[in-house]
Amino acid sequence: MDYQLTLGDRLKVRTMIYVASEPIPRFWPMRTFIHHNPLFGLEHLPFEDAVEEAGKLFHGRGYLSRSEYQEYWQAGKVDEAALRKYLQAFLVKQGGALPPEVPMEHWLWSLLTLCKSEQLVPKTDWLNGAVLHAALHGQGLDPDTANQKERLQEILAHKIALDGPVYANVDRLFGTDIGSTLDDLLVKSCLDFFDEGQSAWQSPGRKQGFFTAWKEVAQHNVRFFLRGLHLRQLLESEQTPEGVVAHILRELQVPEASWQKYITRQLTRLHGWAGFIRYRSTARHYYWAEQYPADLTDFLAVRMVLGMALLQEAVRHQGCPANAEEIQNFVHADPLSAYLRLELYTGAILPAWAQQVEDMLARRKRPGFDRVAEQYIAAKTRWEGERQARNLLRLAKAMGAEAEAQLLGMSPEQLDQFLNILRAWEKGEGFCWLRSMESHYIKSLVNRINIPHQQEAVEKRPFAQALMCIDVRSEPMRRHLEAIGDYQTFGIGGFFGVPISFLEYGRGTEVHLCPAIQTPKNLVVEIPAELELEEEPLYGALEHVLHELKSSVLSPFVAVEAVGLIFSLGLIGKTVAPLTYHHLHNKLHAEKPVTRLLLDKLSPDQADSILRAVQRAMIVRALIKEWNVPRDQVTDDDVKELREIALEHVSGPSALAQRMQFSAQQEAEFIQKLRDTYRVERHESSLQMERLGRIGFSLDEQVRYISQALLLIGMNRNFSRFVLLVGHESETENNPYESALDCGACGGGKGLPNARVFAAMANKPEVRRRLRDKGIVIPDDTWFLPAVHNTTSDAVELFDLDLLPARHLLYLERLRNGLSAATRRSAAERMPSLGGSEKLAQDPYAAAAMALRQTHDWSQVRPEWGLTRNVYAIVGRRELTAGLDLESRAFLHSYDYRLDPKGRLLETILASPMVVGEWINLEHYFSVVDTQHYGSGSKVYHNVAGRFAVMTGNQSDLRTGLPTQTVLKDGKPYHEPVRLIVLVEAPVAFAQRSVGNLVKIKALLGGGWVRVILLDPENEYRAYVLEDGAFHLQERCATPDSQTILEEIA
Amino acid sequence: MHIIIWIIAGALLPWFPFSWIFNRLLVSAPGAWARALAVIVLPQLGLLLLLKSGAWLILGQEMPQALRALALFTAILYAYRAAGTRDVQIWARFMGTSGLSLTWLLIGLLPGHWGVQLFALAWSIPAALMLVWAGILTRKTGGSYLGLTGGFARVLPRLSVLMSLTALAATATPVFPNFFALLEAMESLPLIWMPLLLLVLLLWGWTVGRFLQDLLFGIYHGESLHDLSVGGTWLGGLALGIFALVGLFWGGIWIIN
Repeated sequence: MDYQLTLGDRLKVRTMIYVASEPIPRFWPMRTFIHHNPLFGLEHLPFEDAVEEAGKLFHGRGYLSRSEYQEYWQAGKVDEAALRKYLQAFLVKQGGALPPEVPMEHWLWSLLTLCKSEQLVPKTDWLNGAVLHAALHGQGLDPDTANQKERLQEILAHKIALDGPVYANVDRLFGTDIGSTLDDLLVKSCLDFFDEGQSAWQSPGRKQGFFTAWKEVAQHNVRFFLRGLHLRQLLESEQTPEGVVAHILRELQVPEASWQKYITRQLTRLHGWAGFIRYRSTARHYYWAEQYPADLTDFLAVRMVLGMALLQEAVRHQGCPANAEEIQNFVHADPLSAYLRLELYTGAILPAWAQQVEDMLARRKRPGFDRVAEQYIAAKTRWEGERQARNLLRLAKAMGAEAEAQLLGMSPEQLDQFLNILRAWEKGEGFCWLRSMESHYIKSLVNRINIPHQQEAVEKRPFAQALMCIDVRSEPMRRHLEAIGDYQTFGIGGFFGVPISFLEYGRGTEVHLCPAIQTPKNLVVEIPAELELEEEPLYGALEHVLHELKSSVLSPFVAVEAVGLIFSLGLIGKTVAPLTYHHLHNKLHAEKPVTRLLLDKLSPDQADSILRAVQRAMIVRALIKEWNVPRDQVTDDDVKELREIALEHVSGPSALAQRMQFSAQQEAEFIQKLRDTYRVERHESSLQMERLGRIGFSLDEQVRYISQALLLIGMNRNFSRFVLLVGHESETENNPYESALDCGACGGGKGLPNARVFAAMANKPEVRRRLRDKGIVIPDDTWFLPAVHNTTSDAVELFDLDLLPARHLLYLERLRNGLSAATRRSAAERMPSLGGSEKLAQDPYAAAAMALRQTHDWSQVRPEWGLTRNVYAIVGRRELTAGLDLESRAFLHSYDYRLDPKGRLLETILASPMVVGEWINLEHYFSVVDTQHYGSGSKVYHNVAGRFAVMTGNQSDLRTGLPTQTVLKDGKPYHEPVRLIVLVEAPVAFAQRSVGNLVKIKALLGGGWVRVILLDPENEYRAYVLEDGAFHLQERCATPDSQTILEEIA
Repeated sequence: MHIIIWIIAGALLPWFPFSWIFNRLLVSAPGAWARALAVIVLPQLGLLLLLKSGAWLILGQEMPQALRALALFTAILYAYRAAGTRDVQIWARFMGTSGLSLTWLLIGLLPGHWGVQLFALAWSIPAALMLVWAGILTRKTGGSYLGLTGGFARVLPRLSVLMSLTALAATATPVFPNFFALLEAMESLPLIWMPLLLLVLLLWGWTVGRFLQDLLFGIYHGESLHDLSVGGTWLGGLALGIFALVGLFWGGIWIIN
């Protein structure tokens, strides 16, 4: 059938795919793991509604189980008063549906606190008040045939939706397993195409795009042929992927009004892959996407072609319906059979009946089938009633004899209402628990926070100041550093307010070092300060050979005996003595040379000069490689002439070719090679000029970034001799999630380049002169020094020391001592929670040694806790939290509202660092509440997929969340899942004005994606909590904290 | 006369088409324990009938090839049918039938009664144990049909372990006696029968793979269940342990001889 799609139709399909993909969160490659809100695409909805919607789309749960919340309640981590308040509010909403002799509050409170099962009223097909009444009183129930038929139609309409994927409906009715086969085939196709260098053999034709490349391979794919899939006809139906999608949707007779929904369901089935492709298709400067383009239309087209082929195969072999309409006809023609099929193939059938029903359905002729079906429905109804009666009686028994009497005294109608109330409560119960838990943490913070003195003391110049990331792992370091000496610390986003695209020396691609929601405009290039020999060191060459061997598909057959032993040395070394092995390994490797950053903007002449230099170098290299002409036989003029010819400014033959007696043909081939391989080409030159134009910052930009960052954290005076810019990174072995432990504010990258950029800018006399004009006076003896905090070992390493003025060297020893003492104290605090002995808390040296070992232990599944247990984000002066042990659970952003008269700085904080904090928090939240759907399950089963993600086993959807080892301890949540509680120190009206200027942030706060406390310094530091769209005063009082309550229970 | 004995014996020591009667007899037994007893006793009765009447040797001389072909056909048929079922009780019956039918391969080969009877017992015992586990599973979940609510490994770990080991025992996994019994039978058979016997082994492997897949894997999403008691687990484990020890003993003797 030829539908002849118009351009309008194609655009419509693309638009539908775009809109359908909106709820799917983008998934960044794991090299730069971005903690993201798995429900990011639903952030326009209030949190509670989004969780419900996500349940339908991704099949994930949004809250912990009742018994897990009960454990928190028993540990004193749930605000009981708040829980009761929400319960009462719920009952008020329900109205007086039940007679007063049934005390619903008592029932629901008992359900909350006594019932251990996940659901007291599970989903049922046939349960109602009459059924329950009969079960409670041990009576039989006459079948209500008329109602039964009506109810059956309702059940079938709900379970076999017209707009549901056809193959999924066929699976449910015929047990065909098309869905999982389709997922397997699609994942295989995706792995082939999206591979980023993991596979030794690449899939052909990838430059043409996913769908086109796949189409060509699929027509010759033996695996598809052996499965009996007839793809050729489907692939020939339309040329474009959107055409194929439209064609198949019409073939399947999906009503056009349902296409959007249908497409969404298709895309969310493998939402990890869809999220990655969505990210990839929109990412800027993403090498692999530029080389091998693909988008969700391609992905959907491949999915639909495979799904259609599998469906056609099932139609041929099992005679099942071929499209949506036929399915509906099938269901309406024999609803009893359809129901029993559903029961059997969805696993909902009563086990005692399964074999009998399976046998009957397998027969061509089924005498007495209707009778059996009716008997089954009666049995199922009875079973549902008995199960519900059992559940309720168990709860009533726990409540007391009176409750049992109340239950047995209810009429069928009352029981119906009773069940409806219970169902409604259970639907929203998780959200009530969550808010009550948050209420506990909110009260705890408000009670603990310091109130700054109104009159500030005369400021003493600290020995050193440190700007550290807002990351929760900086909190203990800051606390310990301040405790051991004359240090002052500030919290700022780990990119120090300078978004950069960084091209590291020795790397071919740029990385964006800034929050994922920003796109940097400026490119920073790292160049070596010393010249290097071109020759590869011997060890490096050997290692290269070994790696090549390791990745070759033939190696297992030919090389195991020969070189297997060499690999085993590393294996033994890493396992038995990781630290020693690491030191030895480092000694064999050439150290990274001293480098500088290209920081200043290039003038057009400078850019042109650089481009010419690079092109000349490429031509010299080409001459050596292609013509075997050494450098000493070539003059600069020869190179210049060849460049001019390649750029089509002049024509050949060149003097060099004539001198060397190369033919015109040979020269033409050489010039073509220069253009194609060495990129000495006119179009490429203009692209490179454009790229060079992105390098560095203008002086204005440098001044703007530095002043904004300093004002943002309230640091405009009293600069000390050393101002450390401490970026952070983690160091772990054998850990695909390594970048998840790096800096979230740097887009999952390492924070050092930003620190170096900031320091280099801030140390410039011209920048300082301009800053002075803006009122920020930086003394001449102040030196901004970049450093990096290794969050796994807690070590702080200083960088660019070769630039340090001589007068500062005298103080370097003291600085280093202070930092290493803080390192040990912090390690002593952390190590007992990472499997170390409790004694380590008293032995900082041993704790630091253990932390160091963690960085090189390749068997360690949990080298550090990372951002787990994060709960607070505090935006305000350090005085609020100075000396408080926040247990590595708070993002701390320094901010002084007095330096921000217009509220712009607060807007910046709310729009960027707070959003990063929210993403991190919700990634952890959802990874805990549903470790399988939002989390990524256990690390133990993970395999790296294509070098950009992990899968469970050898083939699965991409696992996008955090592994259980990150968020659970001993099978229980280590991360306490509550939404981020953001405390802002600012006058209420002022903060509200700032929020009002940011539409997205207003939606986030209003929708309850973060909890907000405003601490009003102009109103005696009263705390106001945002709830249900309004700020409510939260009194400070000396309530015992959870720890005390725990002790009392014990 | 021998033919009549042969037919009756075929209903007790299963053998197509009379294996159908054997299975009906098992189904009609009241309760899991009775079925377990029946799967042990009926084949022994069939064997006794054959051995005592002398039909064992005579039939072996008259029509050994046809009997062996039928025995292998029965084993293949029931192994294949077992691969297609998810009901533990039916699986146990089919696997028992498939294994027991191999006893007919020995017709006319083994002079001693005990050897043949032990051979049959090596297939009956795992089938009987599995029938008992099926009964326990039915009591706990309402039926013994697998794969409806995900794997039982997490909710019924003890019962799952026993069922897994029993399934392995039923499919002649090494250390269990039927593995060595089968080796012994293979040794005494002409080489031409090997491909068919290997096909039986292949089908058993497939069958037990599917069985374990349905039994253990997948996230359980049914009602909360109480596992087998510790005492019951020890008892079941002991039975399997003794069975395995006998296997090792048997294997040792066979290797020494």
